[in-house]
Parts: sequence; structure tokens; C-alpha cells
Amino acid sequence: MKAKTKSKWSVFRVVNGLIFIILALIIIVPMWKILVDSFDLKTAYGMKLWPEKFGLDGYKSVFSNPTLYQPLLISFLTTISGTALALVISTMGAYVLIQWNMPGRTFFANFLLFTMIFNGGMIPTYLVLRSLHLTNTIWVVILFPALNVYNLVLLRNFFEGIPASLFESATLDGCSPMQTFLRIVLPMSKAALASIGLFYAVAYWNDYTHYKLYITNSDLYNFQMKLRSVIMGSDMPQTAGDATENTVKNAAIIVVIIPFMVLYPFLQQYFVKGVNIGAVKE
Amino acid sequence: MKKKLVSLFLATAMVATMAGCGNNDTPASTPASNGSSSESQAGSSEQTPAVAEVEKPDSITVMIDGTVPTKENYGDEFWKKYTELTGIEVNVIQPDHDAYYDVVGQTIAGGDWPDVIILSSTYYAGYAAEGVLWDMTDAYASSDLKARHEAKAGSAGVVDSLRINGKLFGMPATHGNGCVTYVKQTWLDNVGITSVPTNYEEYVAMLDAFTTGDPDGDGVNGNTFAVSAAGFAGKEAPYTNYLPEFYQDAYPSFIQDENGVWYDGFNTDSMKAAMQRLADAYAAGYIDPTTLTNGTSDCRNKFYSDEFGIFTYWAGTWANNLKTNLEANGLSGDLVALPPIAEVGAYVDRITPAWCITSSCENPEGVFKYFIEAMQDGGDVQFLFTYGVEGCHWSTAAETLWADDEAKAKTYAEGEFHFLPNAEKPTTAYTKAHIDPMLALVDLEAPANSVTETAKNAQELFNANCKSAFIVPTTETMSEFNGDLTTLKNELIAKVTMGELSVDEAYAKYEADGGKAWSDAIVESLNQ
Amino acid sequence: MKKTKTKAPKQKMSGKKLAATIYRYRGFYLMFLPVFVFAIIFSYLPMVGIRYAFTNYNGIKEPVFVGLKNFQKMFGMANFWSAFTNTIVISVTKLILTTAFAVVVSLFLNELVNIHFKKAVQTILYLPHFMSWVVTASIFSLILAPTNHGLVNTFLVNIGVLQPDKMIYFLGSEKWWRFSYYLINIWKETGWQTVIFMATLAGINTELYEAAAIDGAGRWGKMRYITFPALANTILTVFILNLAKVMNLFESAFVLQNDAVLGTANVLETYIYYQTFNSGAIPNYGYTTAIGLFKSLVGCILVLTCNQWSKKVRDGRGIV
Repeated sequence: MKAKTKSKWSVFRVVNGLIFIILALIIIVPMWKILVDSFDLKTAYGMKLWPEKFGLDGYKSVFSNPTLYQPLLISFLTTISGTALALVISTMGAYVLIQWNMPGRTFFANFLLFTMIFNGGMIPTYLVLRSLHLTNTIWVVILFPALNVYNLVLLRNFFEGIPASLFESATLDGCSPMQTFLRIVLPMSKAALASIGLFYAVAYWNDYTHYKLYITNSDLYNFQMKLRSVIMGSDMPQTAGDATENTVKNAAIIVVIIPFMVLYPFLQQYFVKGVNIGAVKE
Repeated sequence: MKKKLVSLFLATAMVATMAGCGNNDTPASTPASNGSSSESQAGSSEQTPAVAEVEKPDSITVMIDGTVPTKENYGDEFWKKYTELTGIEVNVIQPDHDAYYDVVGQTIAGGDWPDVIILSSTYYAGYAAEGVLWDMTDAYASSDLKARHEAKAGSAGVVDSLRINGKLFGMPATHGNGCVTYVKQTWLDNVGITSVPTNYEEYVAMLDAFTTGDPDGDGVNGNTFAVSAAGFAGKEAPYTNYLPEFYQDAYPSFIQDENGVWYDGFNTDSMKAAMQRLADAYAAGYIDPTTLTNGTSDCRNKFYSDEFGIFTYWAGTWANNLKTNLEANGLSGDLVALPPIAEVGAYVDRITPAWCITSSCENPEGVFKYFIEAMQDGGDVQFLFTYGVEGCHWSTAAETLWADDEAKAKTYAEGEFHFLPNAEKPTTAYTKAHIDPMLALVDLEAPANSVTETAKNAQELFNANCKSAFIVPTTETMSEFNGDLTTLKNELIAKVTMGELSVDEAYAKYEADGGKAWSDAIVESLNQ
Repeated sequence: MKKTKTKAPKQKMSGKKLAATIYRYRGFYLMFLPVFVFAIIFSYLPMVGIRYAFTNYNGIKEPVFVGLKNFQKMFGMANFWSAFTNTIVISVTKLILTTAFAVVVSLFLNELVNIHFKKAVQTILYLPHFMSWVVTASIFSLILAPTNHGLVNTFLVNIGVLQPDKMIYFLGSEKWWRFSYYLINIWKETGWQTVIFMATLAGINTELYEAAAIDGAGRWGKMRYITFPALANTILTVFILNLAKVMNLFESAFVLQNDAVLGTANVLETYIYYQTFNSGAIPNYGYTTAIGLFKSLVGCILVLTCNQWSKKVRDGRGIV
């Protein structure tokens, strides 16, 4: 019987692997054009396999641009602090939402869900922010995206999966809610923290809506905002350099994607099967 | 379920009471007083009832978009120089270019109105109607600026195009510019056309040669098409500027006839003829088959890759831009700017954004005289707004730019005017600060070599052959129906051009879907 | 291991008992405070602005109460209901398709053994999410073009399915637009959606698999009885939460639309956008708020309905 299972596995494995190779190639095809064009000093309409005239000028234009350094730093600052803040308050909030016997738990849950559905609109939001003196400061972009109910509910789902017996034994041992939270909930949720952390980080890094609407001081702009003016700015005429406008645009697009190409493999160690096991043995 | 509803209700009630106690009040109906202009009652200059002395403001707040140098593009230095020249402190609010009108809406709603604001035609007309803008008709009428405008052909007309019932609420700083048709010289040479078309018949002959012949010289006949655009009808007025030769005298939206009576150009025979021309050309393959889904940069890329040879695009600096991009791609950058063919008559100069003074400004006459007028003084301030700051945007020092790139390096002698590399895009150079020198309304001594020959020629051709666009007033009926109406019109134009509907079928659909009814209702409301 | 969750007792507690319970849970209330404050500031305070829906408000003058006029205007617009149905159809179909694909891909990704290959594939799969829609539209206009440059059409011609002169204008024809739209969305969003599913799968106790193997379950059995049920909760949550935002569809439709396909491609937000843009007037924020309110109500109904259904199907458990 064992031999039979083994051969079944390898056929499946090979087919599975092949399917994913094909899938990955299909996914890459549209992005390939951008990659090729970013290295190509000749503009061409149409798909090409290789750049016709290879050159790094596109990337040089993007990287040698001194106006991008400060925004890059600002992006790092807001993303790191924002993600930290967001994770702190979301995990605490999600933890509270799994206290099934707590009075008001349902109320709190609905309280949050309601905000996902109903929205005051652009002008009222602006007026509130203005009255709190948050507009045109870095705080609005750090604080505003920190509470994302979607992420919070997903976190809550993960926490739900933690065996109740663990909580019971913790309370019996005299742990306060915070201690239970820190000692049991967080260590058992690595995959959750990694994925929700990623969601928040991406949201902060890519954020430009909050910048557009609430910040007019361009010293506070982040990387995404600056790159957008590089990518979209070429409808305003300037004499073109050797890197044609197309090359620079595509190089800028690739530059935006690079952080995430690098980040995810790094996070994937938390997505390994059974990563949460070992924390508790009954 | 009931419990949930109760908790939802409680949450809402709680919020409502909190809102009631909070000081989150509605924005002021009158704008908060803006204390930034100087107090004219400070007593230094007299104000006799007969002749009002206009006091120069100490500082003003301006709200501007990306057409004025931003911080990254030496905006701070720009305004510092301005203060040096005029003695006025400027407090700049410059939102991101894409979100400009969202921020304008928010700021107006918030009550802290700036003194000066740049507005495009829709917002200009809308805000003027609501009393947000100061009426500058009289100030302009008695100003030196008016005289300067009248001294230059075409300028007064631009100002007049911004009048609403004769009143002026904003000042244009330049022509709006428009599109001119460019044709590749090599393509003309390759198919043996020696003189540019002057009427539609000759134009079609050119289209045919470009499509069926071998204009790109690759030895293959028929693998090119003649003309392309980003969509069949433009999204903003004037809607016909990307394919003018086909539209000719037709106009798909509302215009006034010689007697000032409004009518809908879509309902005319000339529009039907235009649609037929488009359909015929598309069927013959003269027009790019993917025009419907082209974005403007896709279009340009195809032009640079020699996919098509006739491109109607912005006059002026873009002529040079197209040229350099073509050359960067190994093609000849020789472009001929076509004078409008007989049936078109003139290219359209669109409405330019206006510099307006808000009604919350404490010293509007002062702001008008020392800011608005100064911008077009034909002297130092206009020079600043046109060319920028020395050492930041331009220089006359002897130097070599882009020295590390042999192909691109440019060496300038001492005293030779040249623009400096763009701070955000260091491989390109600036071409202007705010006012495009070729579009200015007041003559200014231009430094030698400040514009390329190519750009200058294209612009001069355009300026000599253009007519101003016009503002359409807005009515309740229009805001109710024009959205659906325009969508329907665009759909019909697209489908007729692509051959999915015949002209007659399209107009039958136009009536059946209610388009004619909406159009008539709007026309009626405009003529009241 | 069963996840136990004792439901809150149905009967109301007596006042004293309630006070005692609240005191017992005081630590938790404190932990919830930051979230609560954030929600108030960034969501509930602005929500007061919903009352503008019943006014005409242009930001310049005081709002003028007009009752239900904005709603009447909205429902009276000629193509409002077609835009509305388009939104529901397109948005919900897109949601179902992308979620389904993401689940399937996650399940099979989970079976990959070589770590490096798995990491590489996952990274590639989720990259399209980071491309902006503007760029995506530009690329796919090219790929789906009805010319020799269009990859798809040339491919179809090469394998003989299509005649060279009868290429399909995928994005330009009402017949094919939605199909193309769904495909583009699947390309763009599937990889990103797998992130949350992979995280869930990582949390499954490996002992369960071992126990199942001992009981004689093969790969498919394991997938059916362990993996998939473990995912079910997440799938449902993701689906229902996204339903709340279903009416907000804008950017992806906007960049891929064109004049010829608006009949089937116009969604509510794009419809309103064209209305405002072509109305020649400055925005009436009261009107836009009314539309927002309508969208929220629809989202609310969708969420509540699905939540109810979920409770019925999964013995009383909704997403809350």
C-alpha cells in the first residue's frame, strides 16, 4: 500500500508543479512588457521579448533624482510606525471581540462593522480632521489608516481558532487580560500577524489618497506621491532626455513593486504549515 | 437579531448625541475673515471718494495647482524672488495636481478662503455664479493691463472668452492653447506627397497614401495606418480637437449661433456628415482600429514607433517633445505643422484656467493691481512667471549640461540663455515657469534661444490659425440631463465610426433613448 | 480539537450581576478603548455628514434642506438602474470569481513541497496586485487589441480558431467586455487574496493530518475533511466583508471602460462620475452624499442577508 501512495504523490506533485509554472508564466506576461520597456531606450508599442536598445537610463532617472530621497524616508517612517500602531490596536480590539461572555461584545462588534458600511463623505471627513488640526501634518496619514475593520475581523477569526482551554488555564493561573494576550494570543498567531501586518504595511506604503486630500505641504509627501508625479507627470511637456518618457515611466512602476518582491519571501517563513503548533501540548 | 438592531440603534443614538454636544458645526456660510491682506484702514494712504488709492497688500494667500512651480521645482525660490520684486509676502497653498479640485472644494467648504485661486472654466463659472469670486470687470476696464492686452492681437479675445454676461471674474495669464495637426515629413516623402493638403479631399488622399502605401519605408505596403487619437471624441471642451479634419464645422455639444441663440450641434446635418466621414475613414482603415481604447500615452508611443503618421496634438512645446522622442527612437523628427484645412477653418484655443480673487479677500483692488496685473506687466514680474528664477530654472553661465552623456551633453557659452535641468526629471530641462512664452497675452522681450525653432514654428502656426473656445453657462436642466446626454452622444459617435451603426440608425437610437428630448430641454433652458 | 465558544446567555443579567461582570471584564474594556476612539474620530464623527444627503450643499453656502429630492433625482436618472444592476452583477461576480480562484490556488499551493519553488510562485502570483489600475488597463489594452500586436488575437489566429480579419475587439465590444474584465481582475487580485488563505492554512494543526492519514484518508480526503473546512470560516468572512464594499467599485471599471461599452460596463460610481463631470456645474455634495448613503444601504442589506444565511448554514455563527 505504501508504494502505491508514493507513486500517486509524485504524479500529482509533478502535475501540480507544472500547472504552477504555467500559471506563473501567464501572470508574468503582462508585467514582462513593463520590465522590458523599463530597460529599453527605444519606445515601442507592442510586446517584445527583449529590449531593443538596452539601457539603464530609466532607472538612473528615477534613482538619481534627489527629490526622491526624503519621500522614501518618510514612506519608511510612516509605514513602520503606522503598521506597528495598526497592529497594536487591531490585535487588542480583535482579542476583545472574542470574549464571548463579555457584556457589550456584540455591541462593539456591530459598532465596528457599521463603520465599514456607512461613510460620512469627503467634506465631513475633511471638516472633522481640520477641526482636530490633523490636516497638513504627518499624523493624519499615520493615524487615519490605522483602524481597518476588515483586517480586525480577520484577526478575530484567527484568534477564534485558539483553543479555549488555553484561556481557561491562563485565567486560572491568575493572568490578567493583557498578560494572556501577550503570552498566549500573540505567540500563537504568527501567521495572522504576518499576513495582517503585510496588509497594513502595503496600505501605508501605497497610500496616496490621504496625502492627496489632506496634505498640501509637499515636504511631507511620501515615495508613492513623488513617483506618481514621475509616472503621470509626462503629460506636461518638457524636453525629453535620452531615456524616453516611456522608459522612465516603466522604470518607476518597477521600482514601486520591488519592495514587495523582496518582502514577501521574507514573511513566508510564517506561512509554513503548522507554524503555530508546538506552543501548547495538552 | 433584535438584540443586534438594538445595539446598532444605541450606537447611532450615542453618536448623534455626541455630535450634538460636539462643536462640529457646519461651515460658515460667510467665509471666515481672512486677515492676511493688509489693513487698508491703517491710515497711510487716503481714500477720497472720488479717486480710491489702491493700497498694496502686505501679504496674500494663494491657492495654486501644479502649473506654477512646486516646491520640488524651486517653488520657494520662485516666490522669494517674487517678494523681492514686489514687496508682497505670499502664502502658498499648492495641493497635489490630481486632487486640486477636491482640495479646492474642501477648502471652500471649510471657510478659510484664500485671496487668490486658480480655477478651470467649470469651477470658474460655478463659483462666480455663487458669489465666491470678486467681480474684476471695473478694475480691469480701467487698468493698464487692458491696454497691454489690446496691443497684442488675440489677447483681448482670450479675456473676453471668460466674461459671463459681460462681467469678468478671473484673469487668464496665457492662451489656453489647442491642438495642431502634425504630419511626419518622411512619410510625406516616402509616398511622394510634395505639398500639404489644404482641403479635405487632399487630406483623404494623404490618408489613403499613408494607409495603402509604404510610408514607413519598411518595404511592406498596408501595414500602417494614417491617423490615431485617444478616443473618437474628446472628454472636455472642445471635443473635436483630436480629429478636427473629420469633424470640420460640426460640434457635438452646445453652441451659440450669430444671434446668440443656443442650439445643440449634435442635432445638425454637419454632425451627421462628420460621423459619416469618420465611419468611412475607419472602414477604409485610415484610422487606428484601437482608437476607442487608446490612452494618450499609448497614442504617443505608437507615434514614436512609427505606427501612424498624422497626429493632432498640442501646439508649442509638444512639437519639440514629439521631435526629440522620435529621434530618440531612431526616426526622423521632422514634423510639418499643418495649417487648418479649408473645411476646418481654424483650430480651437481652449478656455484657459483663470486667476481669480475671492470675495473674502480684504483688499481685492490691491491684489488685482499688485498681483494679477503684475503677472503680465511685460517686465520683471512677467519674466519671473515665464522663465523662473536664475540659477534654478535658467542660467546664462558658461557650462555644460549632462556632461557625462556624450550624446546628450549641451555646452553653453557665457551669456547664452538656457534652461536648467528639471529638478524632478534631471534628464530633461525646464521650458517655462508658469506662463508659456509662446502663449503669453502680453509681449515680453524673450531671451535668444529660449524656445526651440520647432516649438516656435508650431505655436506661431497655431496662434495664427485659432479661434477661442467659449464658456457654456450651466442650468438646472443641464446638470440633470447632460451627463446621460453626453454619454449617449459619445456612444453613438463611437459606434457609427466603428461601423456598428449607420448614421441613420444612430439618430434613431438618439431619439428613442431620449437624447433628443434631453437636448431640446437643455437648449430651451439655455435660451431663457 | 474543537473550538469551543460558549454563546452569551440569552437572559438578561440582573443589575448587580451585570455590574460585577463588567468589573470583571474591565481590562478588556480598556484594551478596546483605542479602537473605540479611532472609530469615533475617523468614522463616526464624519458620519454626521450623512445628513447632507437630505440637503443641497455646494460647500459655499449653508446646506439647504430638500428632503428626499436628491434621492428622487438619483432614481429618476435615465440610466441609473442599469448602472445599478451592472454594479451588482459585475461586482458580485468578480468577488465570487476571484475568491473561488484564490481558494483553489491556495489549496494547491499548499501542496507544493519545494519551499523555494513555493516562495517564488507565491511572490509572482501576488505581484500584479501592486500595479496600478491605470498601468494595468494600458497593458491589457495592448494584449487584447484586435490587431497584430494583440497577443490573444494573434494566438487565436495562429491556432486557427479565428480568421485574421475577424479579430475580436475584446475591450471594445459589449459582448466581450465583462468577460475580459473578469479575467483581468482574476489576474490582478487572485494572488493577493491567497495571502490570507495561506495564513489560515498555516494554522491548521498538522496532527490532524497525521490522524487522518492513519485513518486512511488520501490527499483528496484530507483536503475535503480538514483543509477545506478550516478555510471555510475565512472564506465566508472575506466574502461577506467584501460584500459591504461591493457598491464602491470604481477604478478598475473606470480605466477599462470606453464609449462603446458603457451600456454593460457603466457601474454606479463611474456613472455618477460622468454625470458630475458633464453636468457643467460645481459638485452638489448633498447629492453625492445621497448616493453614498444609498450605496451604504445596499451594502448593508447584502451583508445582513448573507450573514443571516451564514448563520442558518453554520448553526448560528455569523461573521460577528
